[in-house]
Amino acid sequence: MNSLIFSLLVVPVVFSFLFLLSENKTFYKLLSYLLFAFGAIASITMAIHGPIQLEITGSAFSSMEGIITLLEILILIFLFWVSKKHNRKGVFSLTVIQAILFIYSTFFMDKHHEAIINVDSFSIIMLLLVNIIGTLILVFANGYISEYEHHRHMKSKQRMFYFVITVFLAAMNGLVMSDALGWVYFFWEITTLASFLLISYNGDEEAYNSGFRALFINIIGGICFSLGIILFQNQLDITTLTGIAAHGQLSGIYIVPVFLLCIAGFAKSAQMPFQSWLLGAMVAPTPVSALLHSSTMVKAGVYLIVKLAPAYAGTKLGTAIALYGGITFLLCSAIAVTQRNAKRILAYSTIANLGLIICSAGMGSSLAIAAAIILIVFHAVSKALLFLCTGQIEHTIGSRDVEDMTGLISKAPVLALITVFGLVSMILPPFGVLITKLISIEATAQNPFLVVLIILGSALTTLYYIKWMGTLLAYPTASLSMKSGANFNIYMPLWILSILVLISSIFIAPLYNNLVSPELKVLLPKASEALIINNVNIIAQTGSFNNNIVFIVIALIILIALLIHRTLIGNTRKTDVYMCGENVKDEENMFRAPDGTSEKAVFGNYYLTRIFDENIITKLGTVVSIALMLIVILGGLL
Amino acid sequence: MAGVMSKSPWIVHMNCNSCNGCDIELLACLTPLYDAERLGVINIGTPKQADIMVITGSVNSKSIDVVLNTYNQMPEPKAVVAVGACACSGGIFHDCYNVLGGADKIIPVDVYVPGCCPKPETIMEGIAQAAGILDKKREDMKRK
Amino acid sequence: MSTTEIIVRILLVLIVAPIVGCFFAGVDRKLSAKLQGRIGPRLRQPWYDFRKLMSKENLVVNKYQNLYILFYIIFIIVSLIMLFLEMDLLMIIFVYTIANVALILAAMSTGSPYSRIGASREAISMLAYEPILVFYIVGMYMLTGSFKISQLNGANAPLILYLPLVFISMLFIMSIKFKKSPFDFSSSHHAHQELVKGMFTDFSGPTMGIIEFAHWYEYVFLSGLMFIFWKQNFIMGTILSLFTFFFVIIVDNITARLSWEWMLKVTWTVIVGLSVVNILFLYLNNVKLV
Repeated sequence: MNSLIFSLLVVPVVFSFLFLLSENKTFYKLLSYLLFAFGAIASITMAIHGPIQLEITGSAFSSMEGIITLLEILILIFLFWVSKKHNRKGVFSLTVIQAILFIYSTFFMDKHHEAIINVDSFSIIMLLLVNIIGTLILVFANGYISEYEHHRHMKSKQRMFYFVITVFLAAMNGLVMSDALGWVYFFWEITTLASFLLISYNGDEEAYNSGFRALFINIIGGICFSLGIILFQNQLDITTLTGIAAHGQLSGIYIVPVFLLCIAGFAKSAQMPFQSWLLGAMVAPTPVSALLHSSTMVKAGVYLIVKLAPAYAGTKLGTAIALYGGITFLLCSAIAVTQRNAKRILAYSTIANLGLIICSAGMGSSLAIAAAIILIVFHAVSKALLFLCTGQIEHTIGSRDVEDMTGLISKAPVLALITVFGLVSMILPPFGVLITKLISIEATAQNPFLVVLIILGSALTTLYYIKWMGTLLAYPTASLSMKSGANFNIYMPLWILSILVLISSIFIAPLYNNLVSPELKVLLPKASEALIINNVNIIAQTGSFNNNIVFIVIALIILIALLIHRTLIGNTRKTDVYMCGENVKDEENMFRAPDGTSEKAVFGNYYLTRIFDENIITKLGTVVSIALMLIVILGGLL
Repeated sequence: MAGVMSKSPWIVHMNCNSCNGCDIELLACLTPLYDAERLGVINIGTPKQADIMVITGSVNSKSIDVVLNTYNQMPEPKAVVAVGACACSGGIFHDCYNVLGGADKIIPVDVYVPGCCPKPETIMEGIAQAAGILDKKREDMKRK
Repeated sequence: MSTTEIIVRILLVLIVAPIVGCFFAGVDRKLSAKLQGRIGPRLRQPWYDFRKLMSKENLVVNKYQNLYILFYIIFIIVSLIMLFLEMDLLMIIFVYTIANVALILAAMSTGSPYSRIGASREAISMLAYEPILVFYIVGMYMLTGSFKISQLNGANAPLILYLPLVFISMLFIMSIKFKKSPFDFSSSHHAHQELVKGMFTDFSGPTMGIIEFAHWYEYVFLSGLMFIFWKQNFIMGTILSLFTFFFVIIVDNITARLSWEWMLKVTWTVIVGLSVVNILFLYLNNVKLV
């Protein structure tokens, strides 16, 4: 087992150096398949084995600490160099502050003598997400990245790309397995750096701007993180995450380090007012968006916030966190309605769902935290699928605009159907995301302020996904030619992710019972059992859902389908759409214009831009969230 | 089952080159004074859900494609009622250069309602007769 | 609930609900006619319409558009069954959402301009009414401590006594759900110049018949939602449902069709405001019915 833990850290790093060796495509494909196999097997073995703790002491510990200190110095030097080279004074000054904090914490604070690798159920969940989805995305990148570089006339940086992504996977593994706050911080910083390198992959000015903005905001988060660690050690003598959980509720001035760590989490998860970096990050290649900016890196932020739950559950800080998450959820869902760029829709949706996770975590009850953890799982899988589909759609039609995807079902039926499946999994039962929304509403129903935010945000979420789904399907098709895409590298991850979406929703019972429930007992040992999920029922204290209804549904579908299949689907005659008789050609929506020429009937969706203006809502969100943070700080200090 | 079609005749109203006199009378059928809805008649705007096409106007060459397109978008069994002298045979415009001379030059007409313009009661009588013809057509359809 | 009772309730839904719905539809047309000074069709007219539609030819624009309608009717029936089996009301609303989403997708999949306009407007209608439905459920939760309808059996006062503003909000959005004026812009009997038949333009024959049939189930479902406001007393609950129905019909006949911007503005400010005030009242006074 110990070797498995180490391999999760070491193997991706080894692979990253292997990727640097040559640029042969077949070599890359082989390596990525191997890495996928390794990731899947390793994480599933961990899951089967269950939680495990590992103490690292003595010489192993000092060598690890040495490596970490060395790497942190290297990272700081790199940050100084790159911000000097691109003349970014903001990032440069922040790096100075970070260097000062680093020197202080390394040389002027008490030394530790050991570190603990704590792989609990939540870590196992995150390991599964990172290693399965992450490696799948790497496989997808095989088919994607060459075309991406070709379209943009870039000289090949693929070595750097694969190297950074695999190092990032190793860092995420380390992050979720570490217990010592210092180690978590180290891996956190690696992910920040990886994010910068990958966002600025393009090499053009926009990419560097977005990369530096991401760096700026995440270093602010990093600084808050360091300050929090220093305060935790000096004031409370806590150096580990389990230490925080064991300490229980904090009050008075001691809440400040928790608050600082939460800000680091908010910055990493691109909540308001930090959300601009995630939107800028959409210039990166799609595998980067799928991996870093929806499934894994931003989940590190909410991972931290959920792990801190024992400290703020039930306090005013907890309610403030919940309110903050809820406001982000509502405002970002509103902005997402106005977006036409598919990646921006997904970005805002990610921010909104992360806000929902934070809102649930802030509530602090065991049902709410269960909802938060379950949503992390389902959202990661569905969002990764959607981002990858968007990437492939962009390759197929050359555009990210949703309106250009009209009738995609005729041009690329398999791709369109997979995308529709992904979109459906975000808003409809019985898929996981909606089940968790249900649980969130049930968990927050006691607090009307929060529940209003969640309800309004949910309604907006449904709207923008329906619009997109309908646009993909809108085509008067005679019949579908189910020719699948040729590229195995692209379609294999899409199919596997779709299957994962399906089975994770079907097997929500074992997922909850084996992985989520034990974590709740760790975080909130005194709370009663939140959910009882067996194969027949999902029973919360407040509501329940009898799975037998699923069988009734299936029986009904079979019955009704048999009854009306012939009339509804069998005996049909294809005609034109109704355009007042002025149709010119069918299947093209062309009609006779008044001057005798043919014109195409073009239609677009409602974007409600006059009601939800992006700039106004962003400003509103910034003002409200900063105000909320100030209230918390002042309220806590006074 | 008797009267399946005739109890619910839905109409789609097609105006080809009409002076609007017959159209106004046709719409008057739906007003409270004459109340065609007693017979189950609804003016459905889309041909895909209509049973009876009510044509007014002396059909001209520009209307050919439109009428044919709309007629083809009606599901079987369907009937056509030509309302007004112009739709029956071209009326007083039958000599014009662009007038074809009646709806039956393009599509098969089942009921002719002459008059310029016919009274709403006459139009309703025509629609009711077309509804009866629909029943017969349905029987033929089922037997085939 | 014993198995026999479950089976009886399911059969009641499958067989009796469409008859009641058909009756509702007939009363709707007859009453509208009388209010307009006409005689109007027979009460059985919706049944005649259904029979006729089922015996017509099935025209399609998109070969797979009818598949979505299948999902529409199935999930309407499922949500109605769940309502009768007194399950978790929040889940029922979300299952009902599947049906509505299926209908919107059906309309959009035809690719026709009128259908897509109607479907877009229907999506905006969903945005308008969905929050109110969930506020209703949250209000019920605050009073009874549970989301399950069966919990209401032990309550000592009807919901409407403590949820009057929510009741008014629900009345308002019932107009939206029944697609009656002033909210009949996604599919209307009267909006031909604007929309032809809106969402349903390109459906014909048996598909349209199935849609009508599903509408009958939907009428019963919506009336059922209003019935829950006074669940303990069967007569008063029925009176509430019938009151809602007649209210919607009368409002249909005295108002004109308005725009979706107006609907969105009014629902998201006034109606949401009313519901929030009601829920705040429950929160501050900590009223419990069970």
